[in-house]
Amino acid sequence: MTKIQLANSQYLYKHDDCEGRHPLDIHHIVIQRNSALVFLVHLFALLLFIKAIYLCLLNGTLGTIFLLSMLSSACLVKSYYGTLIEKESVVIIPSLGVQLEAHYWSGRVVRSFIPIDKILKPVLNENVTPFTCYWSLVLLIHSKKELILAFKVVKPPVKLLVPIWKALCAATYSGETTDSPAEDK
Amino acid sequence: MGDSKRHRILMVSDFFYPKFGGVENHIYLLSQCLLKLGHKVVVMTHAYGNRSGVRYMTGGLKVYYVPWKPFLMQNTLPTFYGTLPIIRTILIREQISLVHGHQAFSTLCHEALMHARTMGYKVVFTDHSLYGFADVGSIHMNKVLQFTLADVSQAICVSHTSKENTVLRSGLPPEKVYVIPNAVDTAMFKPAAERPSGDEIVIVVISRLVYRKGVDLLVEVIPEICHMYPNVRFIVGGDGPKRVRLEEMREKHSLQDRVEMLGAVPHARVRSVLISGHIFLNSSLTEAFCIAILEAASCGLLTVSTRVGGVPEVLPDDMIVLAEPDPTDMVQAIKKAISILPIIDPQEMHNRMKKLYDWHDVAKRTEIVYDRALKCSNQSLLERLSRYLACGAWAGKLFCLVMIIDFLLWRLLQLWKPADDIEVVPDIVLSHDEDRGISQDFQAFNKDHSLR
Repeated sequence: MTKIQLANSQYLYKHDDCEGRHPLDIHHIVIQRNSALVFLVHLFALLLFIKAIYLCLLNGTLGTIFLLSMLSSACLVKSYYGTLIEKESVVIIPSLGVQLEAHYWSGRVVRSFIPIDKILKPVLNENVTPFTCYWSLVLLIHSKKELILAFKVVKPPVKLLVPIWKALCAATYSGETTDSPAEDK
Repeated sequence: MGDSKRHRILMVSDFFYPKFGGVENHIYLLSQCLLKLGHKVVVMTHAYGNRSGVRYMTGGLKVYYVPWKPFLMQNTLPTFYGTLPIIRTILIREQISLVHGHQAFSTLCHEALMHARTMGYKVVFTDHSLYGFADVGSIHMNKVLQFTLADVSQAICVSHTSKENTVLRSGLPPEKVYVIPNAVDTAMFKPAAERPSGDEIVIVVISRLVYRKGVDLLVEVIPEICHMYPNVRFIVGGDGPKRVRLEEMREKHSLQDRVEMLGAVPHARVRSVLISGHIFLNSSLTEAFCIAILEAASCGLLTVSTRVGGVPEVLPDDMIVLAEPDPTDMVQAIKKAISILPIIDPQEMHNRMKKLYDWHDVAKRTEIVYDRALKCSNQSLLERLSRYLACGAWAGKLFCLVMIIDFLLWRLLQLWKPADDIEVVPDIVLSHDEDRGISQDFQAFNKDHSLR
């Protein structure tokens, strides 16, 4: 198993190469959490909790405010960990297909599988929003109008996407097209 | 070409393909010729329908369709500062050295030039239109132009009349304004191998049927000419709100068999309409340059036109008959044109046009303007503010305020998203076939257009 790591301030790229009877080529883009933001979320939740205890001790009963405060601090922490993504992965299973995985902080993993013969070509795409531009890695699928995004949430810089794109090109290259990854770049 | 002289240009305008017109044509063909000269050119415009994001056109011309919706006459809503982040991102990621804005009516162009100046880039502006001084709309428009041009490095106009107009409207020093006329793709507009024979004389009109193009003049001129010359036939191409006026005239004078109305003519079909005629009639009430005249002359047609704006500068006297924008004078001009028609040789006219107008020549002249713009000295914010302050008692202060806020927002953006965090896009190098003429580019443009 080899690991290649590239990183910037927001994202970390990891590469797992599992060899053996069922070789796998796994590429992860991990979100590097902003420690200041983590601290702020926890601090805010803690303050809410302390306030609720204080109110509870002051009144001597479990009031509505206490319940609401507890609920909102729990919601805050839950929403921070529950909906946010920890990492997204592209798992290349040679001669079978590509599995796209989204790993949430809650432990939930959303997977979707695309058979290799359905993939026409992986493409690095430039996207424009009203305020900024970013790159995305997409898969062109046979007889399908829409492109499939390899990473649905994370928007890593192109230098982290290039090794994944090259690996996908190598996995899906059937020798029919004349352009190689190097020429495309 | 050495790398030191290679410019990296961002063309900005609200008007670009897939819409079709003089400005769009100019930006596309100028960009193609600049690409051939070895420069890098990127175009920025607003999104058209679902055409949004990045597209590549012939010759590796990269186009950013920024998803800001147009609100009036293909213009984006003026937000002043809304476009600052995306313009900054594009300027950094494409490593632009110079920003070239087109057309005074384009809000995106004005905003881009303002932000580019704030960020210290050199800017060039091309004005493609003439505009009035007296009505409320013009007064406001001219103030906006004064604001944008107060700090522009160099400006380009398409004719001397247009230069005079721009200088008067914006108060720009005349030595900063260059005149570079438009050109025509002579390879695309060739005369017919055989001229339409017979006794019949066909007069062609191709223009948008709007007030500015003088449709009301046509309504009076056409019946008069048809009455005087039974062998004259008119072909009218184009569509617009004034079309109904022409149709009414046709009914009233029972000229259905003498006046053919084609409706909108796609640009790719303009030549085939032009070569079916002998005389081209242009009745515009205002015109900075008029490319239609060039296209007609390139197809070997004798032109009759109103003497307005930059039109008298376009063609040599023996290729055009000019008239005042008045029906009687225009009838006289058409009479004169019919009388000199036998001595006109379309092929010779085409050959002369070939020598007179060429887009490569336009690109080379524009390149000189870019070189001069880059040689302009860098100015501090205070020096630039003093220029804005001179724009007017109240307007000057307002312009200064707008610029100061822009400057602060730019500084804030630099802190929030440092330039180092914006990735530079790798250049796509296409192998150019040197022998390939611009005509092929143009055909590709038309093909792109038809694919819309």
